[in-house]
Amino acid sequence: MAKIELKNVAHSYSPDVENPEYALKKCNLSWKDGGRYAVLGPSGCGKTTMLNIMSGLVTPSEGTIKFDGVDITNMSTAERNIAQVFQFPVIYNTMTVAQNLGFPLLCRNYPKEVITKKVDQVAQTLGLENLLNLRATKLTADQKQLISLGRGLVREDVAAILMDEPLTVIDPDLKFRLRRRLKEINELYKSTLIYVTHDQNEAMTFAENILVMDHGKIVQVGTPLELFERPKTTFVGYFIGSPAMNMLKAEIKGKNVVSIGDTSFKTGTDLSKVKSKNIKLGIRSEFVELHDKNADNCISVKIDKVDDFGNFQLVSARHGMSPIKAKVSRDLAVPAGDAWMKFPDNRCCVYSNEVLV
Amino acid sequence: MNFKHKYLFLFPGLLVLIGILIFPVGFTVRLSMSSWDSFFPGLDYVGLENYFRLFQDDSRFWEAFGRLSFLSVTTVTLQYVLGFALALMVWKDIAFKRFFRVLFLIPMMTTPVIMTVIWKTFFHESLGPVNDFLNIFGWNPLWLSSEILSKVTVIIVEVWQWTPFMFLLLLAGLLSLPKEPYLAASIDGAGPYRTFIYVTFPLMAPISIGAIIIRLIEASKIMDTVYVLTSGGPGTATETSSFYIFIKGLREFQFGYSAALSFTYLIIMIISLTIIAKVLVRLMIRE
Repeated sequence: MAKIELKNVAHSYSPDVENPEYALKKCNLSWKDGGRYAVLGPSGCGKTTMLNIMSGLVTPSEGTIKFDGVDITNMSTAERNIAQVFQFPVIYNTMTVAQNLGFPLLCRNYPKEVITKKVDQVAQTLGLENLLNLRATKLTADQKQLISLGRGLVREDVAAILMDEPLTVIDPDLKFRLRRRLKEINELYKSTLIYVTHDQNEAMTFAENILVMDHGKIVQVGTPLELFERPKTTFVGYFIGSPAMNMLKAEIKGKNVVSIGDTSFKTGTDLSKVKSKNIKLGIRSEFVELHDKNADNCISVKIDKVDDFGNFQLVSARHGMSPIKAKVSRDLAVPAGDAWMKFPDNRCCVYSNEVLV
Repeated sequence: MNFKHKYLFLFPGLLVLIGILIFPVGFTVRLSMSSWDSFFPGLDYVGLENYFRLFQDDSRFWEAFGRLSFLSVTTVTLQYVLGFALALMVWKDIAFKRFFRVLFLIPMMTTPVIMTVIWKTFFHESLGPVNDFLNIFGWNPLWLSSEILSKVTVIIVEVWQWTPFMFLLLLAGLLSLPKEPYLAASIDGAGPYRTFIYVTFPLMAPISIGAIIIRLIEASKIMDTVYVLTSGGPGTATETSSFYIFIKGLREFQFGYSAALSFTYLIIMIISLTIIAKVLVRLMIRE
């Protein structure tokens, strides 16, 4: 268990060239001991690089990493005492399940009795106790992945367990159960869990805190609720939530008023200091209300399409050329053709130059 | 799939197969039941007489076969160990990696017969440079005319010639291994020894088996090296099955009998290689 801090860490895979391209741009971060984190971002945004820097598989070209205040930047992976679970389960084919689980302890020269005890304990937590004497190759993919995880759990002193899209190979039903298992393990062992994924649902349901990355930069750190309600940039708005956040080009008209074309909207944000001309009004489709009459904060729209998802209806509409989507209750009778959409003022997010005001 | 003309299209292929494989084997079997030799050429029929002769009073063939087994197992084992070691050496990033990779392949690219002539000169007991050097210490080993050393010489030449092949296959295997098991092993704290035993070796098992079987098949055909280096001598100390069959068939022209030898040899090889492959799979993969 340790508090992990990244100080001015940046990494480029070819640091010697002129204008090196950074897979991970300079960042300062600290991970709370025992926290449950998700790193979320599209493919190639630097998630895995960040993870490998923490586990020591990659030495960052700049900056330092500290575990509990101790600089470990140049320490080897084994010395760091970290566990990592990869996208594809890694098992030792020639060993049994028990030997697999005990391997990290064996490599650290623990006495035999301690190994057996710890292995039994971990097997019980993971539900593998009946498989201990089976050869590891006989297991299914999800059991193999549990072993990969178990190898991290046998060592009580691991600083953190890093997971790189660990549930990709596992089918949806098991995914759900494993995710719950992971949460339980986090509560039981109080180990820091860092979970890399590109699947927002996975991140949202698993983590207490989510770190959103894009192009090697950390865009926002926050709870699932914060990410959903107040995305810090338009990227986060697009990336998180399904469908993506509605973004409409707007102009500032007053202290807390913006306009889209001729329609003015009151927002909950103080806009008096914003200078930029690149203004967008963002609103989650969950918060858009559908009306058949004009009222405050309403915009006229033309409804193109209504999709019934069973538990809600997704209304796709247009104001001029800009598309707006609204999730409405399935009991609501959606008018065909022209209608009005209301953006409640406390739900409106105003973005200046793609950044939340 | 009831296509009337399929046999028509299969026919040319079948014809080739018959011409180059089925007919020769069938003819060998028929020939092995005749007494065709240089005095009485002709395809007469003597039943299984040749086989009785082979199984009852030709101990020379069985000795040659035993020698062949010893030589091929020894050379292939050495080739595997050396080839694996060399492949591991140039697998990781080392200086002049490319240079070494090419260097290790050179023996395979040379012509075996010519290289054997050179080796023979090298090991020549009174004129060769090896004994020139060893004479300094007062030694004069009989590389080609001692019963034991001549086997060692054959093994050295064979290992030198064919280790590169093993090296090539194993290096290709190593280069195609996934990265994650190594990352996991280093996270688990495994040192280089444990990493090799538990990660590299098991991952390399399938390709190792393939490489060993290919080399065993090749090695049991050993002929040119023996022919040039020792001609099976001294006495029959380095005589292998194929060389003995060659002597019976193409030197003494006992076609009928050598056909019986060839066919018996073929059957034994098929059976023993199948068993070896099974044993190797059992030993190395252990599923």
